[in-house]
This record gives sequence, structure tokens and C-alpha cells, in this order.
Amino acid sequence: MAEPVFLEMAGIRKEFPGVVANDRVDLRVERGEIHGLLGENGAGKSTLMKILYGLYTPDEGEIYLDGDRLDLDSPQDAIDAGIGMVHQHFQLIPRLTVAENVVLGEREPATPFRPDAESPIPEAVRSNRVVQSVAERFSLGLDAPTRRIQRLADRYGFDLDAGAKISELDVGQRQRVEILKALYRDVDLLILDEPTAVLTPTEAERLFDSLDRLTDEGLSIIFITHKLDEVESIVDRVTILREGKNAGTAVVSEVTQADLAEMMVGREVLFQIEKEGVDLGEPVLQLQNVHADDDRGIEALSGVDLTVRAGEVVGIAGVSGNGQNELAEVAAGIRQPTTGSVRVDGTDLTGAAPRQFVDSGVSFVPEDRLEYGCAADLSVMHNATLKEFRDQRFDGPLGLDYDELEAYAETLVEEFDVRGVEDVTETKAGDLSGGNLQKLILARELDRNPALLVANQPTRGVDVGAIEFIREALLDQRMNGTGIVLFSEDLDEITDLSDRILVIYEGEFVYETTPEEADRDRIGLEMTGGGRAGGDQRPSDRHADVTAAASEGER
Amino acid sequence: MAGFLAGLLDATVAAATVFILAGLGELISERAGVLNLGVEGMMLGGALGGFAVTVVTNSPWIGLAAGVLVGMALALIHAFLCITLKANQVISGVMLTLLGTGLTTFYGSDWVGERIDGFAEVPVPLVGQYLVEIPVLGEALFRNTPTDYLALALVPLTWYLLNRTNLGLELISVGEDPEMADTMGVSVFKLRYLAVVFGGGFAGAAGAHLSLALVGNWSNGMTAGQGWIAVALVIFAQWRATRILLGAYLFGMLSALELRSQGLSVSLGPDAPLAGVLNPIIEFLLNTQIMSTYPYLATILVLSYAVIRSNSDRLAVPSALLEPYSRETD
Repeated sequence: MAEPVFLEMAGIRKEFPGVVANDRVDLRVERGEIHGLLGENGAGKSTLMKILYGLYTPDEGEIYLDGDRLDLDSPQDAIDAGIGMVHQHFQLIPRLTVAENVVLGEREPATPFRPDAESPIPEAVRSNRVVQSVAERFSLGLDAPTRRIQRLADRYGFDLDAGAKISELDVGQRQRVEILKALYRDVDLLILDEPTAVLTPTEAERLFDSLDRLTDEGLSIIFITHKLDEVESIVDRVTILREGKNAGTAVVSEVTQADLAEMMVGREVLFQIEKEGVDLGEPVLQLQNVHADDDRGIEALSGVDLTVRAGEVVGIAGVSGNGQNELAEVAAGIRQPTTGSVRVDGTDLTGAAPRQFVDSGVSFVPEDRLEYGCAADLSVMHNATLKEFRDQRFDGPLGLDYDELEAYAETLVEEFDVRGVEDVTETKAGDLSGGNLQKLILARELDRNPALLVANQPTRGVDVGAIEFIREALLDQRMNGTGIVLFSEDLDEITDLSDRILVIYEGEFVYETTPEEADRDRIGLEMTGGGRAGGDQRPSDRHADVTAAASEGER
Repeated sequence: MAGFLAGLLDATVAAATVFILAGLGELISERAGVLNLGVEGMMLGGALGGFAVTVVTNSPWIGLAAGVLVGMALALIHAFLCITLKANQVISGVMLTLLGTGLTTFYGSDWVGERIDGFAEVPVPLVGQYLVEIPVLGEALFRNTPTDYLALALVPLTWYLLNRTNLGLELISVGEDPEMADTMGVSVFKLRYLAVVFGGGFAGAAGAHLSLALVGNWSNGMTAGQGWIAVALVIFAQWRATRILLGAYLFGMLSALELRSQGLSVSLGPDAPLAGVLNPIIEFLLNTQIMSTYPYLATILVLSYAVIRSNSDRLAVPSALLEPYSRETD
């Protein structure tokens, strides 16, 4: 080896009770590069980075920075060694200012006690160790630090006021404060844990610009992500982890997204989903002139007509907050429409209790899976059987037959490939990773072979492997004759899965098309209300009694 | 009337000191994220410890120091339970109050009936002896016990500690987000212990002030719920040191009113309109038994007002109050 690499993590192993999170993982980062760390949820990326940041101690393995061996017992050790980390959940105190958050832990003494300041206090006194330690504890100087923070912010185009309170800042600005915290401590290596998860696309672009400026000045960055297009747009080299092991390292410009996805998942990933034709059956959901209010009592749906037939996937596209959640909840029976009627499988269920919707064969995958999709503190078994436990087969001599429930939960976990479940009666649903929890919810909702499935953002925030699995599970269910209403902000998902596409804007359907005829620009325009000027009639969807395809032909 | 007013103000200052000391102690503890409902117990401990040591040594200063140490020792129990063992702070605090009440009743019976001189009232040095001559305000403001001056001095000192020192910044961060503080190299355990034990020392001093300066003897349960008022005071003050002072005087005045109004009779002349209706009401309101409930009634009113007026965004309760911290969970 000629020159040692900047950072080398060699043979890192970390075991948690029952799980090997990292199994002899190697990572090498060059100076000045943006190094991607790619992997599915639960592949061991976060564990590896927590080891590098001193939060976990590895069971085996060594870390070298610039050729020197590091022993990291706490984040403070990592910071002293020049390693900074920006966590996914910001570690900022909203009540304090930017400057206070940045200097916390640095013990900046008041100006007269600073070694570099003009001061009436003689040098000999100032440099005395006792005086220093008293000044560091019982005084606080923010002037010089504030100037330095402002200089750093301005240099990297962060657009921040060092005196502002964190509570006044938006998410993008808060993230830049996190980066400032690291820069203020003169780090040479910055770890970013899924930094774009909380950002809008524009903010993400800005972040990427800032990162480029940082690497120009010799900083190295480790960028944790599971989004392939992000890897392609800003990462130089990428290391891929799979199930706690190295799955390869690649120069991004030399590989395709499909190569990366294959390394990440361990097999070929189908980006193109083959959809078979299916005969449409009877209508399973009929909404007529539905109006509904949101939680604040403001009208969110202003007259929606929707018919979904057995075996049909209706994709609903729209910018979030245009009534999708309310529509999903009305269709699933957990929100009452103010006017209009709801028929499920031919029965009028307007105003019926949610339980009747469930019993009529309605399944629901809510947008917020932790809050509404599961009982996070209950076991996987409890969650898997939430909708079915009243079924006769679970009747025991005294109440429920727990062995049967357990066996059923185990089958679901197996069938739907839910990972991270040690024991269905012990593992809590809330402890599963996002993708695996979603698979569990889907298992519960699909295994009852519903007449209608309402799926709100089923793949948001889950990793590539799980996305593929979920999409295929939805299409399989369609073949079984379930009618599906699919809400998604991912236009590709909508066009890949749907038989019909409806665009919702301000609580009304403003445009209808099919995947074959779909024009993305037009859909994008309609989603933002731009199509109305053209004088188009709002589709009433009343013609959907024919076949879906035929109704498309008419328009 | 001027005499009554002067006496009332004088008693207010002395009574407020209890609330200032106990309130500041609770404030420091809560800003670090540890609620300590044992104030009442720690105050009783401080009152008895201070009194007994003063009887033996004949020095109220040594007595005060002993009171502070007793408060700290009791607080250490709370700190160990809540910080190291991660016990429920509310339960541990109530336990501490019960413990303090029980222990002082048990050991205190020997000391009931003893008398001491305690702290004498001294004028403010240099200028005090002239300013004391000011009518009404003079005695109240410029001739007080050393513990009154100590309490007043601790208000700006506590403010400075919390808002203008690195230690204060770290303490606040520990009360807001211990995990974040830990990753920034702040020792969560050390700071929380420090804050709770220091807070206990303040409560002990408040108790010692009660027995050494205010009353001059020991009786069982002599704090009479003032420790609970101190806990409420912190909420009223919205976790700010300067507002503790304001609240302490408010509650201090209500306590003083009860003490000073004995034998005070106010009534409308027989010719005044509605005299027949109003006089019994006034008499009822000025009844000593009724007046002794005023501080507690005021506590309820003030808390309701504070909570209604400040919506949750502005409510300044430390975000991590009641939350134990351990590094392993993630």
C-alpha cells in the first residue's frame, strides 16, 4: 500500500442480543470524497456509523484515521479525532439560539478570559489553570463564537443568523445548524445520516451544493442513504451493506442504478413491473358526491365520485394535502362524509361504524404506519391478528386460543418476509424497521382477502427491496379480485401499478387518464391546479360502470 | 394603619425568603430535568437539623450550614433513585416528603419546646442604619436577617448561573434533551446529580431560615405545606429565576397577612349602606382560620392563570422533565 487511506474501518463486528448488526464490515474513505453508504433498512449502516461516532463500542475490528488507530469510547472522542455526525433526528434545543446550540459542550469562556482576546487581565493570570477552569465553568462568552459561526455560515452559503432561536428555523436551516456544529469543531470527516429524508427536493439541491463546497475544502463526507438517485447525483464512491455484511464498493460513475440495487438487495430488482390483464368484476366501492371535513373542520373533499371495481387498481395522484387522507379515510370507513353516500360491495355503508367496513371486507393501509397502522408497543402477534382475532378459528375453550394466534402470526411473518422478528409474541411492532413494519401491516390487511384495499402511501420511506415486495403483493391481490385504491406521491408507482389514474386537487378529481396514455407533464400540471385554465371538464367518473378501459376510450 | 402596613411588609420579606430559597432550589433541579416533590421533606429536615445544631453549638451560622447539609443529603436519595435507578420522579419525590416528615417528627420530639436566639435582624451595612428611618418601608427593606439577604443575593446569582455560564447552558441542555447533551460531551449524570443535590441544599436553607430566623423554635410539620407552594411557584415563574422573586413576594405577603392580621378588625360603620350584609362577610374573610388558606387558594388561582394564559408553545417547562436518561437505549 502506498499512502494510507484517510479513514479505514477494518473487520468491524457488532452483535446485539440475537442479531449480528455488523459482521466483519470494511469501509475505506478517501480524503475529500463523498462516500455513499448504501443499504436496506436494517442492513447495518446506522450501527456502523454509531461505532465510528463512538456511540457503540465494536466487539471486534479496528478504526484508523489518517493512519492512526482510534479508540472511541464516546462521541466526544470522535469529535476530538475530527469526526462529526449529523443525525437523522436533529439534536438541537429549540429554545436556545443557533450559537448556544453550536458552542454547547465547548466551554467557551467570557471574552476577557480568552487567550486570544485583548483583555485587562494579565496573561499570567489568564493562563493559570485554576483561573481557566473557573472561567470555563462560571462564565460564557458568545461574542467571538457567534462571529466565527456567522463566518462559517456565510462561507458555505448557509443563509443563517447565528443569533436566531432554533424554534424560528425551518427544517433545512436546522440541518445546516447541525452541520455547523460539526464544522465549528474542525472536523475532517462528516457523517450524514439520511440527510434528505426530511428535506424538500429544492432544499436537498441546496444541501448538495453545500456538500460540494465542503469537499472542495478537503472535508470528507460519509453519506448514508437508501435512495439510488441520490447516490447517482452526488456520491463519488459507494459502499453497499447487505444484512450486516459488505456487499461491494463501487465508483458510482462506473455502475448503473440497477447494479447498485442488485448489490443492495442481493438479487435483480425489477424496476419494470409486469402487469397482467384481469377481468373487472362488480363495483366494490362506490362513492357518490362525497363531501368531508378535515380534522380542523374545514371542507377537504368537495364532491367526489369514485367507483372501484373488483380487480381494478385506481391510482390517486396529487400534491399532499389536497384531500387524499380524507378520501382514504372515508373509503376505509374511519371518517364520516358530511354529505354523499358510500357503498361497499353493493351495500350502503354511509354513516356505518368502522367495524362494519372491516366486516364488509375493507382493508386499510394508513399513511402513518406507526401511529395508525399498528399498536407500536404490542407484539408482532397482537398486531398481525388485530383484525382477525374474532374469527372462529381463534376461539379457545376460555377466550382466545393463543397458540393458534401465534401460529397464524408466524405464518404471516414467513409469507410476507417480515425480518427482524425474533419471537412473534415478544418482538414489538414498533421495533421493526419501516419496511418490515409495512410488510407486517400489509400481511394483516391482505391475508383476509379483502374486497377493497385502501392503500395510502404504502411504500413511502421504505427501502428498495421492500418497495418491490409491497408492489408485487398489491398486484397479486389484484389478481385475486380485490379492488385497490392506491394513494401515492410517487408518480412512477402510480403509473406502474394503476389501471386508471385520477388526479386530485383541492378536494376534487380534476383529471383522469390511464397509464398507457399518461403524460407526466400533464399530470404534474393538473396536480398543481394548472389544468383548470384550459377549461377541461372535471371528470365525473360516473361512466365507470362500463369497463375502466372503455371509459378511458370515451374521453 | 401605617404601623400595620410596615409590620405587614416586614413580615412579607421574612416569609418570602422561604419561598425564594425553596423555589430557586426546585428551579435548578427542574431545569436539569429532575422534578423533586420532596421540597417539603427537605425543608423539614433542614429546619430540624438547623435548629438542633444551633441549640447545641449556639451558632445559627453552623446551624444554617447543618440545615443545608441535611437538605443535600435527602436530595441525594432522590438523585440516586431517579438518576441512577431511573425511578419515577413523582413517586420518589412524594416518598422523600413522607420520609422527611416522618424522620423529623420522630427525632424532632426531643427538640420541641427548646428556644434559641437564632438570627437577629441586622441593618444593611454602611447605609442601612440611616435608611431604616424611612417610614413604612425602612424596617422592612433595610433591617433583616442574614438569610433574607442571602436569599436576595441568590436570585441574581442563580440567574447568572443558568443564563450566563457554560455550566448553566449545559444544565439547561441536560433538562431539554439529555441525549443531545451527551453527544456534545456534556456529562448528563454528573450535572443532574449536581443540580438535584444543590437544589436540596437550597430547600434545606429555606427550612433552616424558618426555624432559625422566622420562628426561633421547632415544631412538628412547621413548614405547613410551604414546600408544595414552592413547587407551584416554579410553574408560576415559568422556570425563570427572576420571576421566582416576584412570586415569592406574592405568596409571602399572603402568609404575612395571616400572621399580622390577628386582632385586626375592619368593619363598616353602622350607617354605611349594606353594612348589615357586608360586615359579616368582611369578618368571615378576616377570620384567621380562613386567612390561613389564602396562600393555598392563591396557589390554585395562580397556577390556573399561568396554565391558561400560556399555551403549550410558550409554557417554558423543560422538555425532558421527568425523563430518565440512559445511553444504551436507542
